[in-house]
Amino acid sequence: MNSLRLLPRRVFAFIARDFHLFVSYRMQFFLRILSVLGIVTTLFFISKIFVGFTDARFSQWRDPLAAWLTGLAVLNYFMTGFSSLATAVRQEQMQGTLESVLLTPINLPTVIVASSAWDFVQATFFSSLYLFFGWVFFNVNYSGSYSLALLFLLLTTLVLACLGILSASFAMVFKRGDPFSMFLGTGSALFSGVFFPTQLLREHAPSVSGISWLLPPTYGLDGIRRVLIENQGLSQVTDPLVTLLLMLTILLPFSLWVFGRAVRRAKREGSLIQY
Amino acid sequence: MQQQVAEFTRAAVIVEGVVKTYPVPFLRLKKFFRRNSKPPVEALRGVSLTVKRGEIFGLIGRNGAGKTTLTKIIATLVQPTAGTVTVNGFDSVRDDEQVRSNVGLAGAEERSFYWRLTGEQNLIFFARLYGMKDREAKRRIAELFDRFELGEASRRRFGELSTGNKQRLAVARALLPKPPVLLLDEPTRSLDPLAASRMRELIAALAQQDPPVTILFTSHNLGEVETLCNRVAIISKGVIKAIDSPKSLRSLTTDLERIHLTLRDVEALQAQDALSFAKESLNVTNGERGLVVSFSRRRDDKLLDRAVRSLQQVGATVIAIESEQPTLLDVLERYEAEDSSS
Repeated sequence: MNSLRLLPRRVFAFIARDFHLFVSYRMQFFLRILSVLGIVTTLFFISKIFVGFTDARFSQWRDPLAAWLTGLAVLNYFMTGFSSLATAVRQEQMQGTLESVLLTPINLPTVIVASSAWDFVQATFFSSLYLFFGWVFFNVNYSGSYSLALLFLLLTTLVLACLGILSASFAMVFKRGDPFSMFLGTGSALFSGVFFPTQLLREHAPSVSGISWLLPPTYGLDGIRRVLIENQGLSQVTDPLVTLLLMLTILLPFSLWVFGRAVRRAKREGSLIQY
Repeated sequence: MQQQVAEFTRAAVIVEGVVKTYPVPFLRLKKFFRRNSKPPVEALRGVSLTVKRGEIFGLIGRNGAGKTTLTKIIATLVQPTAGTVTVNGFDSVRDDEQVRSNVGLAGAEERSFYWRLTGEQNLIFFARLYGMKDREAKRRIAELFDRFELGEASRRRFGELSTGNKQRLAVARALLPKPPVLLLDEPTRSLDPLAASRMRELIAALAQQDPPVTILFTSHNLGEVETLCNRVAIISKGVIKAIDSPKSLRSLTTDLERIHLTLRDVEALQAQDALSFAKESLNVTNGERGLVVSFSRRRDDKLLDRAVRSLQQVGATVIAIESEQPTLLDVLERYEAEDSSS
C-alpha cells in the first residue's frame, strides 16, 4: 500500500534523473528530430511512386505514406515497450548503479514501471513527431476513433512490455545475447506489416507467413490502421483486440514471476552489477 | 528464554549461521556436456554475530575474507545460501523491503553513482526513491553537504569530483533516510588524513546521537578500527575467528609486549652480551637519543627487571623505557598464520 502511494514520486524520480542525463547530451536530441524529418520526407517521395495505386485487398495501404507513418510511429512505441526495461537494466549494470537502486526500499514492480517511464515519454514525443511531420508538411490526415486507437496502442505496448520484462530477466541473468530482442526487433519490422501488408507474406512466402501471427505488433498495427485509416468501430476490431487481451492475460503474471526469479538469482550469484 | 528476548530487543543486526557459496553458473549444463568447471566459491562459512543497538562494530580481515559479502547480505543485495540475517527484527530475505528501509550502505564502489549528474541531482534521485518529499530531501541534502563539507560537490558532476569527495558523497547518500543501521565498507579508504579524521569523528558522533545509529564498519585501517569500534570481529576465509572489544582481542590473543629501552654510556656489542638471555627477540639499533634495544616479554614476567639490572652492571644508563602493546594487526596476522598452517 505504501509502495503504491509512493509510486508516482518514484516514477517521477526516474523521469527527472533520465531527463537530466538526456539533456547532458543535447546534440543527440536535435539530431534525432532531424532524422525523423528525414525519414518522413524520404517516405513521402517513395509514396509518390504509388500514386493511383488501388488494390481492394490492401485497403489500409491506399495512402502508403499514412500506413508507413502509422507503422513507424507505432513500431517506435512498441519497441520502447519491449526494450526499455532490458536497456535500463543493462545500463544500470554497466554503470554499476543497479545495486544502489535496489538498495532503496523500492519493490520490483516499481522498478519495472519507473525504469521505463522516461523511454515512454521520449517514445510518445518521437512517435507523435512522425505523425506531426506527416500532417504539417505532407498533408497526411487520420480519421476514426482516436480513443480506440489509443486502446490498441496501450494494449500492444503492455503485451510487448511483458516480453520486455522477459528480456530484462535475460539481461539480469545472462547479461548479453538476448534472443527476445533479436526475434522481436528484426521480426516486427519484417513480419508485422510495418512497411508492407502481411497479406503479401502469405502470397509470396507462405512458409514463414505464420510468424506474423505470433507477433503482438501485427495485431496492434492492424487494429490501429483499421481504426485510423479504415474508420472501423469497436465491433469490427474485436479479433485483434481479444487476441491482445489474451496475450496480456498470459504474459503479464508469467513475466513478473520470471523477473522476480531473475533478480533473486542475480542476488544469489552476487552478480547484480556484473555485465 | 527471557535472556534471549532481551538480547533480541537490544540487537540491531543478528547474523545466524550464514553460509554463502557463490554458485557456478550453468553447472548442470556444464556437467551435461562433461565440461570441467571451477569449484564453487565459499565466501562465508557459518558466520554468526550480533550487533547491538548504537554499537560501532568493526569487521576486519584481508581482501577476499568475506567482509563485503557479509555487508551486502545484510543490505539484501546478496542472498545467503543458508542461515538468516535479521535487521531490527526484519528478515533480510522475507522482509527485504523493510530491511532496506532500516539500512544505509556506503560501499567502496565508485560506480554506484550517475557520473553525468551533479552530486545534488544524484542525492535528490535517491531521496525520492526513499519516498522523501522534495522540500524535505533538499533540506536533508543541504544538511549532509554541510556536515561532510561537500559544498563543492553539489553543483559539479559526480565524474568531476575528487576520489575523497566521491567517498564522502557515498556516506552522505547512505545517511539520507536517517537509517537506524549504517553499513560502512572502508569509508576512509580514499580520504586524506585530515578528511579521514573528520570522517571518524562523524562516525563516532552518529553512534552517540539520540537515537543512536548502529554502525557496522569494515576497514583495512586497523588503527581506526581500534579507535572507533566497541567490538571487532576478525574474519578469515569466510569464518569469524574472534569477536570482542579491541582491547580484549589484543590481550586474549597474546600476552606479549615489546619493550624498547633507550641507553647511553654503552656500546651495541656490550648491550647485546648483557641481554644474551633475551637474544631470540633482541634487536639493537641507533636512535636519536641513544642506543635502542628492543625485546619481547610476557606481561608480568621478570625479564624487564633483569634486563635493566644487567645493562646497569655493564655501565649503561637507561634514559627511557617504552612498552608497545600488540595491535589488531598482530591479532589478524596470528589468525592468518593459523589458517595458512592448517
